[in-house]
Amino acid sequence: MNETILLGAVAYDPKVVTIWEGIRDYFNESGTPMDFALFSNYERQVESLLAGHVDIAWNTPLAHVRVKQRTNGASLSLGMRDSDRDFHAKIVVRTDAGIASLADLHGKRLAVGSRDSTQARILPLHFLRQEGVDLARVQVIPFDTDLGKHGDTGTSELDVLRALADGRADAGAIGDLIWVLEQAAGHIDPARIEVLYTTPGFDHCMFDALPSLSATKREGFTRSLFAMRWDDPTHRRLLELEGLHEWMPPREEGYESLIAALAE
Amino acid sequence: MTAAAIAVDGGDLSIGGGLLALLRPALTLLEPDGVLAVLSRSGSVAADLASWCRAERHEYLGAEDAGNGTTRHLVKRGRFGVQRAGSFDELPERADARTGFAPHGSVVEAGGPRYPFNLLERDRVAPPEVAELYEQAVAGQWSALRDIPWSTIPQHEPALELAVRQVMTFLAENELSALYVPSRFIARLHPAYVGVAMFLATQMQDESRHIDVFLRRANATGAPPAISSATTSRSLHSLLEVDDFAEASFLLSVLGEGTFLDLLAFVERFAPDEATAELARRARIDEARHVHFGLAHVRHALAHDETLYSRLEASVRRRASTLAGTSGVPAPVQDALTIYAAGGSEPRRVAAGHDAFRELLVTMHEGRIRRLRSAGFTAEQAAMISDLHTPNFM
Repeated sequence: MNETILLGAVAYDPKVVTIWEGIRDYFNESGTPMDFALFSNYERQVESLLAGHVDIAWNTPLAHVRVKQRTNGASLSLGMRDSDRDFHAKIVVRTDAGIASLADLHGKRLAVGSRDSTQARILPLHFLRQEGVDLARVQVIPFDTDLGKHGDTGTSELDVLRALADGRADAGAIGDLIWVLEQAAGHIDPARIEVLYTTPGFDHCMFDALPSLSATKREGFTRSLFAMRWDDPTHRRLLELEGLHEWMPPREEGYESLIAALAE
Repeated sequence: MTAAAIAVDGGDLSIGGGLLALLRPALTLLEPDGVLAVLSRSGSVAADLASWCRAERHEYLGAEDAGNGTTRHLVKRGRFGVQRAGSFDELPERADARTGFAPHGSVVEAGGPRYPFNLLERDRVAPPEVAELYEQAVAGQWSALRDIPWSTIPQHEPALELAVRQVMTFLAENELSALYVPSRFIARLHPAYVGVAMFLATQMQDESRHIDVFLRRANATGAPPAISSATTSRSLHSLLEVDDFAEASFLLSVLGEGTFLDLLAFVERFAPDEATAELARRARIDEARHVHFGLAHVRHALAHDETLYSRLEASVRRRASTLAGTSGVPAPVQDALTIYAAGGSEPRRVAAGHDAFRELLVTMHEGRIRRLRSAGFTAEQAAMISDLHTPNFM
């Protein structure tokens, strides 16, 4: 039986090649034979995992929830990034839009990200509904860029911020990471754009596998993955590219809001 | 210095409006798990600080009302980006290749790449005298253009001017090797010992200036440089092949430049004009500093590594064997030094010039023995090493 793990990842950016070639080399050196296959979208990757063409898939929250549902909860969750835990979405507004509360969104233009983006579309709208916002009374401006990538590229979130800056929208929905990173980079004028609302936390990406994954592959994968260290120069470069400090064990409770949102 | 708790007043700054410039340095001063209190009157900080902490792996502990519209946010410093503080006071015994070009003693973030420096041991590379020698070198810089009285060179007898050209050509060729050899080690020196690299840089600057003045003097009458002999070339080539820094210091500075001190004293003593005397005098003062560094380097390395004696002896033997078959000082140099000391081609003066040349060889041998003894070699070792030294002087 072939003990080389075949991992699936979506090529949302050229850096994905650098990341997975680096991780593959490290895995092989650390005694876990591994190779990877790149997909152009998460739908194809999920189908390939379910069909047994790849052993493990590096999935967005939306893809993770679909794998769970398609396997009736039997799929294996193997690990996630520290940055995947306690994700939030933000509703940011133009300071001159006259929006002081969520109720003020009624009658205003709300820019949102791609329809398959958990943080810039699905969950912010879900939480707004929960907070009593009637979305039928809000003019939603969608930026459906990079569909199939589930918001990984961040392009639609940057589109939202641009629409706000240009005055094409009064409010916008984005993930909290892009919001603080854009601010830290000095790309946001704090006099013109500010936060109105922060959603409850939710979790993001997950390594998914079918229950039929061999124990050798499962154990080899998690052993090598969790042995990556921030203070190791080779690892650090890969971790920085992938946007984490430390790999974490899996947890399922962070996906409940997404499951509820998809059921609406 | 680190602290367990610090407070900063963020006023009404937002995360994107400058607050990070107060927050990040304060967190750097904290020990891991230390707590930072951020006073803020900005409404957006409450919403954004937690997200920023998540991105940077600090822990947002929460907020409390501090009165007057001010909120006190508490942030626990995370363990990532924990920095290793270097000891600033003294040079490390062994340098860490991962600190790269970070100035010694600076706070170095973990996770940087490993640099290809391989001169990493203080006692092999950095004699304690180096800082003082560097200061002397900086204070002792001079100008090839301004500090030599070029206009005083008269029209000499052609044989004498030819001798001057030959001596200057020889000096320039040897100084070129003294420019290149140290450069090979600067790139390998760990920046923790940057003082050594800085000294070597002054040495290279000195050699550049010497090359400049020697060639200016050689070409003073508009004639091109004279002969470069194969002996000289072979001797200098063998210097470039030395890979060990202490061995190179020994061969180049202690033996080669040491011997050149006597040569330059000779050139000054018999100089046919003021400009030639002055450039030899100035070059010798610079060279004395290089010899001083070489001696300090070798002495310091020998004190920490007994096996270095035999390695230095072996490297002198190896070099002598590559020069085997070469007999004596290259003929053009020998002839030129004789005519130079004679001050012309008149036969009786040439006899005196030849005596002066033979005396120079004795002086050089004695000078080498004195320097070798000062480096820690026995009288017997010193005599043997001096005998094996290249007939090319450098």
